[in-house]
Amino acid sequence: MSFMAVYLFYLYMIHTLFPENVRQPTELGADVMIIGTGIIIVSVLTRYKKWRWLWSEWLTTVDHKKIGVLYLISALAMLFRGGVDALMLRTNLALPNIQPIGANEYNEVFTTHGTIMIFFMAMPFIFALFNAVVPLMIGARDVAFPRLNAISYWLFAFGALLLNISFVLGGSPNAGWTAYAPFTERAFTPGVGENYYFMSLLIAGIGTTMTGINFLVTIIRMRAPGMTFMRMPLFVWTTLTTSALIIFAFPPLTVALALTLIDRLFQASFFTLGHGGMPMMYVNLFWLFGHPEVYIVVMPAFGIFSEVVATFSGKQLFGYTAMVLSVVAIMLFAYGTWVHHFFTMGAGPSVNVFFGLSTMLIAIPTGVKIFNWIFTMWGGRIRMTVAMLYQIAFIPTFAIGGATGVMFAVVPADYQLHNGYFLIAHFHNVLIGGTLFGLLSGMHYWWPKMFGFSLNERLGKLAFWLFFIGFWITFTPQYMLGFEGMTRRLYTYPLGYGWHMLNVISTLGAFTMGAGFVVLVYDIVWSLFKMPRDATGDPWNGRTLEWALPSPVPEYNFARIPVVTSRDMFWWMKRHHATIADQLKPNDIRELDLPKNSPVPFILGLGFFIFGFGMVFEWWLLAFLGLAIIIGSLIYTGFDYDEHKQVSADEILHIEQSLGRLQG
Amino acid sequence: MAKEPSEQIIWDEERGEPGFGFIRPHFHQEIFPTSQIVGYVLSLALTLTSFLLVIHRTFSASPLLVAILILAVGQAGVQVGIFMHLRESRGPAWQVIPLFLGFFIAGGMIAMSIWIMMFKWGGY
Amino acid sequence: MSLPVDPKVIPKPPVPLEFSVKAESIKITGFWMFLVSDMLIFASLFSVFAVFRSRIMAGPTPNQIFHYGSTLLETLLLLTSSFTVGMAIFAMRKSHAQAMMTWLVVTLVLGAGFVATEIHEFITDVQHGITWHVSGFLSGFFVLVGTHGAHVSFGIAWAVTLLFQLSRRGLTPVTTRKLYTFSLYWHFLDIVWVFIFTFVYLFGKIT
Ligand code: HEM
Ligand SMILES: [Cu+2]
Repeated sequence: MSFMAVYLFYLYMIHTLFPENVRQPTELGADVMIIGTGIIIVSVLTRYKKWRWLWSEWLTTVDHKKIGVLYLISALAMLFRGGVDALMLRTNLALPNIQPIGANEYNEVFTTHGTIMIFFMAMPFIFALFNAVVPLMIGARDVAFPRLNAISYWLFAFGALLLNISFVLGGSPNAGWTAYAPFTERAFTPGVGENYYFMSLLIAGIGTTMTGINFLVTIIRMRAPGMTFMRMPLFVWTTLTTSALIIFAFPPLTVALALTLIDRLFQASFFTLGHGGMPMMYVNLFWLFGHPEVYIVVMPAFGIFSEVVATFSGKQLFGYTAMVLSVVAIMLFAYGTWVHHFFTMGAGPSVNVFFGLSTMLIAIPTGVKIFNWIFTMWGGRIRMTVAMLYQIAFIPTFAIGGATGVMFAVVPADYQLHNGYFLIAHFHNVLIGGTLFGLLSGMHYWWPKMFGFSLNERLGKLAFWLFFIGFWITFTPQYMLGFEGMTRRLYTYPLGYGWHMLNVISTLGAFTMGAGFVVLVYDIVWSLFKMPRDATGDPWNGRTLEWALPSPVPEYNFARIPVVTSRDMFWWMKRHHATIADQLKPNDIRELDLPKNSPVPFILGLGFFIFGFGMVFEWWLLAFLGLAIIIGSLIYTGFDYDEHKQVSADEILHIEQSLGRLQG
Repeated sequence: MAKEPSEQIIWDEERGEPGFGFIRPHFHQEIFPTSQIVGYVLSLALTLTSFLLVIHRTFSASPLLVAILILAVGQAGVQVGIFMHLRESRGPAWQVIPLFLGFFIAGGMIAMSIWIMMFKWGGY
Repeated sequence: MSLPVDPKVIPKPPVPLEFSVKAESIKITGFWMFLVSDMLIFASLFSVFAVFRSRIMAGPTPNQIFHYGSTLLETLLLLTSSFTVGMAIFAMRKSHAQAMMTWLVVTLVLGAGFVATEIHEFITDVQHGITWHVSGFLSGFFVLVGTHGAHVSFGIAWAVTLLFQLSRRGLTPVTTRKLYTFSLYWHFLDIVWVFIFTFVYLFGKIT
């Protein structure tokens, strides 16, 4: 009897965790690879006795700089996963009627590609840079809520894990990164794939909202004395507006996801076809979030470019005030355009005209910024570093992406272009040319600050050219394919439509970009071992406060909080032969309270993961277990009053001395 | 917890920015809880008014809707202004700005969604 | 190191305890931001409800399921609890720990009364086969009102842990800050309820 029960349970587990479409050679290969990598990591950690180090230095850390590193590593890993997905998609479309992956797999792959690139690549990459430099730029010791910051990271990380295991356990989501209802309702998409999508985005979304709150408050309340709003570096400004956008934009997403999940798991009638459900309301809510989201991912890039262009042109940013006003304007307008994503719904002329016009309006502040960047370079002494190359490549790329975007704002044109390859080309134009180039530029620019050594410039330039040329080879043909009538989310096409050559070229371009990624990784590994350590802390002759600190930055950031008297403060200090080190005298240094490491964020994240997994498979017991862990760790933090550790003045004195930062 | 003098003195003064008009901090301190009691009475009055208006059908539908909406907004004003001490803060009361932006966006979101989805009702 | 400090910005000397430590006062700002995002969660739910209000299908109409008596009772309970938590903060500012605890307990009792009434309503509905499966209108209604109820329940649980902390540690910058943020949360839920009362129940009565 009991043997039978165990056997049945075994069969049940196999069938739910590895359904038909998963028990295929490709997926099993992925399984083996993932398990293999896991075993290798575990055994390396055990072999070198690194578990304790990993736990106490990284998994429990609340230091914003380390959290930034964690975000960066995760984002690069996700860029890899999303990139491999992209190559699989392009391979499938390379020639007519070839199908290395079948229709259903194609659906799964473009869904995970889009979801991962937006939520698990772009967002954490942005947060990596926020964490790495924003507190340094405003002269703060940490973010406003260090522990919350760690919680945000672990919610993101476990959310990402949940989405990524879907591929090997139970099947991936396959309804696109937008997951439109009613297709995502149970009636049309049974199985656990979509549950994974909703659960993982809900979990990561909570973390993201908290990051938004955290950075907004950090910038409002933690600026150093004298750091007025109009003295803040532009990256801090864009962080401020991005955080505000997150706070206002993620709630509608949370609601849209939660309501669909309630429909799926508990039979409510929100977006169903029967019982008075209204699927289009999902679309409305999704894009209430979705349009601000595109500004969430591109505005930090604007900020990065504003820093990079000033530094490498050796000039103050042109039109600072206009730049600030335009980011604020973009932040406000971003809420008034969302319907342009579903003009074809048929809401009627007045609605469509209103949103078409508002969409055209929002292009204006962006144009202002482009001109300001060009004028900053004008007459400057430009240094062609990798970071600057990405900036220069960004300007035409983003301008073209923006121009094709305005074409969609013309409603009748949108009826033609909607959901075709023209759209695909457009949004990759802005997402790669704007966001990804911006983030890579920022990564190269701030890498020495984060890790204490620069990346190799020659390899970096090679990677840049591969990315840039590959990008245009991939997406120019796709604009044309759009005019030829090729639709989005198409898994294959017959010979004789005239799409053949263009697709071949596009796929070649995609592989060029893939090669660029390989070079980038090689660059990182090579530089890790071969590049000299950066002793000055200021390898680029920078202008803002973060370059006044040694790299990598000590845990407490500033031994003494600087007093800011001008925009581009560090430049000013250098001009007046005063650096922070010069000002620092031994008796300026005081004992400090620093936030203490805590296991709570990790355990909370784990609780959410278990809860999410239980919900995905509707294993309520597991879900309750996860919930219990969540509640337990919340209560634990509530009663934990021991959040700080003290660092004595002697200790700081010692560190500063060894860094050569002390006077006398 | 006394630490660096620079943190204690300058740090607290919110780095020398003007606390303009509506975000000037203001702490509420009284001997007798007058404002709490006034707030309570006001909130009861507002709610009962809207309830009675509806029960007795004082006006026709549309003005009635507008009236009780205004009463609800007034109620929110009472809660935010009197009970939540909106402008209590160290340094400028920055929370005022996101809060009002939030009200604005929340109202816009609801009104616009109704407007956009109206086509499903075949007019309203 | 002299700075252009505007003397008007400096809080006048008797700064309340919860604002006396900079780090704690920053947490209050952070809590305001949380409330803003929570407000937008409710705004999204309100827009769902507003759009789904007429999607009654075969299900009951608002007038058939709303009990105006108990709704008014719920409103009065919540408004009163908003007042009592205000009084708890008033007592806290005066360092009357005992009065503060009493007001807080009264608040919790009122809150529990609210939740109990609402749960009772929901259970009766479900017993009559009125579930969110039946119509879009009911889905919007149950999720909007239920989310608010869940917030109130969470608030009660939170305040219970606060009671323990306050009785163990007394009035410190940290405990008073926690109670202050709790009061913000509670008043916020009161505002949301007023809008639910207006938008959901009273509108239902009119149309
Ligand atoms: C190596 C570079 C990339 C290539 C070759 C590539 C290629 C593709 C392809 C072939 C599709 C599917 C089109 C379809 O079948 O409908 C797609 C969709 C998409 N991509 Fe990319 N992509 C790249 C990078 C990115 C990046 C960096 C992002 C975002 C930051 C991104 C975001 C998206 C999104 C959101 C979708 C839509 C998915 C959906 O339809 O649900 N991609 N991409
Ligand atoms: Cu948009």
